[in-house]
Amino acid sequence: MRRRDFLRTATALATTAAATSIAGIPVRASSPILSLPPRVMESDNVLIIIQLFGGNDALNTVIPAEDDEYYRIRPTLAIPKQQAWRWLTTDLYLHPALAGDGVWGGGFGGLMDQGRLAIVQDVGYDNPNLSHFRSTDIWLSGINSSDPFVRLSEGWIGRFFARVLPDFPAVLPEHPLCVQIGGTLSLLFQSAKGDVGIALTDPQKFFELGKGSTPDEEPLPEVDTFAREFNYIRSIATQADRYSQAVLDAYSRGRTTVDYGSRGLPAQLGMIARLISGGLKTKVYLCYLGGFDTHVQQQEADDVTKGVHPSLLTQLASGVAMFMQDALQQGFARRVVGITISEFGRRPYENGSRGTDHGAAGVQFVFGDGESILSSRFGTAPNLHELDANGDLMYQNDYRRLYADILLNWFDATPEDAAAILGDRIAPLNVIKRRVTSSILPADGARSALAVVPNPIVGGGGEVRVQLRRLASVQVEIYNLRGQFVGELYRGLLPEGTSRLSLPVLQAGTYLAQLRCNDALVQTTFTVAR
Amino acid sequence: MNRRVFLRLERRAPARLAEPISSIEPYEEPLQRSDVLHLLRRLTFGPTPELVEQLVGKSAEEAVDLLLGDPSQEPPVPSPGAWVNQAQEDPRGVDIVTRNQIESTWQANFKALQQWWIEQMLAETIPAREKLTLFWSGHFTTEFTYDLGYIPPQVLYRQNLMLRRMRLANFRAFLEEVTLDCAMLEYLGGTLNVAGTPNENYAREMMELYSTGIGWYTEGDVKEAARVLTGWKSSLYSDAPAPNGIFNTWFKPSDHDIGAKQYLGMTIPARDQDTNTEYLVRTQEVRRMIEILFQQRPEAIARFIVGKLYRFFVYSNPGATDAAVLSALMEVFIANDFELRPLVRTLLASKHFFDPANRGVQIKTPAEFVVGLGRQLGVTLSGAADGMARMEQDLIDPPDVSGWPGYRTWISTKTFPQRIQYAGQLIASLSDAQAQAFVRSFEGWQSVETFVAAVTEFLLPRPVSAERQAYYQAILLAGAPKYEWPSIANDAQAVGSRLRSLLRAIVKAPDYHLC
Repeated sequence: MRRRDFLRTATALATTAAATSIAGIPVRASSPILSLPPRVMESDNVLIIIQLFGGNDALNTVIPAEDDEYYRIRPTLAIPKQQAWRWLTTDLYLHPALAGDGVWGGGFGGLMDQGRLAIVQDVGYDNPNLSHFRSTDIWLSGINSSDPFVRLSEGWIGRFFARVLPDFPAVLPEHPLCVQIGGTLSLLFQSAKGDVGIALTDPQKFFELGKGSTPDEEPLPEVDTFAREFNYIRSIATQADRYSQAVLDAYSRGRTTVDYGSRGLPAQLGMIARLISGGLKTKVYLCYLGGFDTHVQQQEADDVTKGVHPSLLTQLASGVAMFMQDALQQGFARRVVGITISEFGRRPYENGSRGTDHGAAGVQFVFGDGESILSSRFGTAPNLHELDANGDLMYQNDYRRLYADILLNWFDATPEDAAAILGDRIAPLNVIKRRVTSSILPADGARSALAVVPNPIVGGGGEVRVQLRRLASVQVEIYNLRGQFVGELYRGLLPEGTSRLSLPVLQAGTYLAQLRCNDALVQTTFTVAR
Repeated sequence: MNRRVFLRLERRAPARLAEPISSIEPYEEPLQRSDVLHLLRRLTFGPTPELVEQLVGKSAEEAVDLLLGDPSQEPPVPSPGAWVNQAQEDPRGVDIVTRNQIESTWQANFKALQQWWIEQMLAETIPAREKLTLFWSGHFTTEFTYDLGYIPPQVLYRQNLMLRRMRLANFRAFLEEVTLDCAMLEYLGGTLNVAGTPNENYAREMMELYSTGIGWYTEGDVKEAARVLTGWKSSLYSDAPAPNGIFNTWFKPSDHDIGAKQYLGMTIPARDQDTNTEYLVRTQEVRRMIEILFQQRPEAIARFIVGKLYRFFVYSNPGATDAAVLSALMEVFIANDFELRPLVRTLLASKHFFDPANRGVQIKTPAEFVVGLGRQLGVTLSGAADGMARMEQDLIDPPDVSGWPGYRTWISTKTFPQRIQYAGQLIASLSDAQAQAFVRSFEGWQSVETFVAAVTEFLLPRPVSAERQAYYQAILLAGAPKYEWPSIANDAQAVGSRLRSLLRAIVKAPDYHLC
C-alpha cells in the first residue's frame, strides 16, 4: 500500500468512528449474528472503576524519588526517599500512605509484591483541560473534544452497552448492568438510549424504597418533549422497582470475609464484594472517593503520612487490598479487574498554601488477579525537566488505552466496537491478559509472530514480518507510543509461514506494531531513526 | 383554602407542536388559568388558589412584574434567629472538645438556616423571590461542608440575603459582590490568595462557572486574575481580625500583589504602597478586572447566563430550535448592559415561554417537588431539608462548586423512590379532616368527575386522558357507584383514606415529577 493510501484510509476510518460516537447516534452492531447475546453478557467478568475526584496528585502518589528536581519544586511536600516504599530495586517508589506497614495488608506495596497491581504512569490527553468538570467529562465519556461547546453527554461504558445491546432498554437485563455506589448517577453510565446503570447506597433501603415504584401509567408515544421526559421518568421508576429485588437478593445471599469498616471507600468496596459474592450479574461497578482537590495544606508538615492527601491514599490502598484479599478468599478474584481514574494530576510545582494546583498527566492503578493482569509498571517515571507551556507534566499514555484494554481484552468487544466507542482506534495497554490460546500464532506468541526488521529503522525502508501456523485473516496496525492510531498496514488473508509487509516512510520516533488474528492480539515496539 | 377558582374549565387542548414557537415577543392574550398555573409552576414553588385568582386575566408582563417584585422596595425577610449575629472561635485553633462544640453549633445553625429558607419558599406569595434566589444559590455555589471544614452559617445567611438583593440587578455588579463575598472568599480559597503564592481557585471558577463558561480565557488569564484578587480576607470568627466588623470582608494590603497584571489582553497598572488601599484596589483592580471581562467577552457571558436561566426556567435540554430564542435573549441582555430584570422579564413573559410545547416538560427539582407538595396540600412540612438532601438537593450545600447538575440527574433509581417515600409520609400525615377540607375546596366536588378533573389540573402539568381520569375516579369510589360519591365525601373517614390513595397514585405518576 502506498503511503498516501495508507494515510487516507487511516484518516477516513478515524474520522468516521469519531463522528459516529460524538454525535451519539446509537450504532447497531454490524455483526451478522445480531440475535445472539454479545459475549460480554455471557462472560462473568466484572469491572470496578474507582473515581478519585478532585485531581489526584500523581507526583505525591508514585514518588519520583530519584529525581532531585522533585525535591527542588516541592520543598514542603516532597516525600523523602527513605520514607517512600520502593518496588524491588527499581526507580518506582510509592507514598508511604499507600504502601507498607502502615496500610492494611501492606496496601499497594503488598499487592505489587503479590503480582496483583499495575501502575500506569503519566496518563493524559492532548490539550489538557484544567477544569475539574470538563476533564472529568472527558475521562468519563472517553472523548477528548478540544471544542468546549461539544457537550459530552454519554459515558464510554454507556455507549458500550447501548451499542452491544440493540434491544436496550425495551428489553431490560435481569440484573442491573452497572451499579454505582452512592451519589447521582454518573455520566459514565449514561447513553443516548438512557441510563445503563443504577445508583444505590444501601441495598435494604433500596429495596424498601424501590418496591412497587413502577408507575401505573403506560409509556406515551414519543411525539414530543413532554412524552420523552415522561417516558424517561417512567423507565427509571420501573428499573428502581425491578432491580431493588435483584440487588437485595444478592446482598442477602452474599458475604464478606474481611472487615471493611463502615465508612469511606473500603465500605463501598465491601458492598461490591458482597453483591458479587451473592451472585449479582452486574458488569461494571463505580465507586467514588472525593477530596483530591488539594489546593491547601494537602499533607501535614511534620508527618508525611498524615493530612488530607495521605489519608485519601490510605483509604484507596487499604480498600483495594481488603477487596483483593476478600475476593481471593471467596474465589472470585479471577473475575474482577479494577482501575482508578482521576480527572488530572496536579501541577509539579507546589503552590504557596502547601498544596498543589490543577495539573495535567496523572497516574492510574489497575488491580486484579495475577492471571488477569500483568503486574508491572507501564511507562517511566515522569519527566520533570520537560514540562508543557503551562508548567505541567506531558503524558506518555493516552487515557483511553486502559479503556481499550477493558473493552477488547476484558469485555470481548470487537475492534470495530472499541474504535467506535472511543472515537478512534486505540492500542490497548495490554495490562489485562487475554485468556486466549491461538492455534494460528506460533506457540511462543509475540516473539516470533510479529517482528519489525530492521529495528531501529534507519533511512527509510523496514518491514513487518508476520509468522502464522496456517492461512488466516489478520489485521496489522501501527500506533504511536501513546497508543494512538497511526495507520493500518494490512487487513486480509496471509498464508502459512512468514509474510513480509513493507512499512511506509514514518517520521522518526518509537512506534507500536499490532497484529490481530481472530481473538489473539500481539504488539511489538520499534524505532524509526532520522 | 378556597379552590373554587379551579373549576372553570376553559382548558385549551395543547397543540401537538413538535417545536415551540421561537419568539420572545410578549405573550399578549390575557392569562387564563392554565397559563397562570404554568407561570406559577416555574417562577414560584407551585400554584396556590389565591395566587391563581390574583393573576388570572392579567397580561403576562403584569403578572411577571408582580411576581418578580422589586428588591429595593421589599421589607426584609424575617431573621432565622439570634444565632445569625453570634460568632464562634476559629475551630481550627482550639482543643478538640471546643472544636466539636463549635461545629455542632454550626450544624444546628445550618439546619435552622435551611428550615428558614424552606419556610420562605412555602409561604411566598407576591413577590415570589425564592425561586430566583435558589437559581443564584445554585449558580454562585457555596457549600456549607467544604474541604477545610464548615463555612459558618452566619455568612451563608448573609450571602443568601445578598443573592436576594441582587437577584434582578446588573450582572456585572452582582459578580463583583460575589467576588468579595465573605463566604465565597472562604469557600474558593480567596482568603489564602496571597501575593507571591497565588491561589487560582476562585479566579478560574469566576470565569468557568460564574460568567463566561469554559473556553474563553487562557491559563495565563487565570493566573493574572488570581493576582488581581490577592489580599482579601473574611471575618468569620470571634477571635479573628474584623476591621470592617464581624462577618464582613476586609483587605490586607501586605497580601496584595501590587504589580501590573495582564488580563484578557488588557493591562491593570501596578500601584505603589500609598494607593494599595481597600477602596482603590476594589475599584481599580477588582472592579476593573470584571469590567474588562465584560468588555472582552460580552457574548460568552450573555450566552452562558442566558443558557443557564433558560435551562432553569423553561427547559433543561434546549434543542436546535431553541437557539433563535437564546440568541434573541442574548441580545436583550447585552443591549441592556447586563441588567438581569429586562432579561428575566422578557424570557418569562414571552410567547415562547407560554408555548404549549414548553409546558410540563421540566423535571421538578427536589425543592419544587417537596415545597410544591406542601403548598398543594396546604400542610406544614417536617424534615423537608433532610428529605430534599436525600433526593440530592441539599440546600446551600451543593455537591461541588459546579452546583447541581440538574435535569435528568434529579431522577435516578435512588432518588425517585426517595421522592415517593417522602410524599407518602406527607400524604399519610394528612388527617381525615384535612383531606375532607381539601376535597371540598374544589368547586363542584360533589361530582366525582368534576373533582378528579379539577384536582388533576391542579396537581399535574398537562391534562390527563379520560382513561386516567376514570382510573382516578375508581380509586376514590373504591367499588361504590358514582352517585355515592357525595356521601363518601361527607364522611371524613371514608374520604380521608380514599383521597390519600388517590394522592399516592398521583405522586407516583411520571408527570407528577414534571412541571
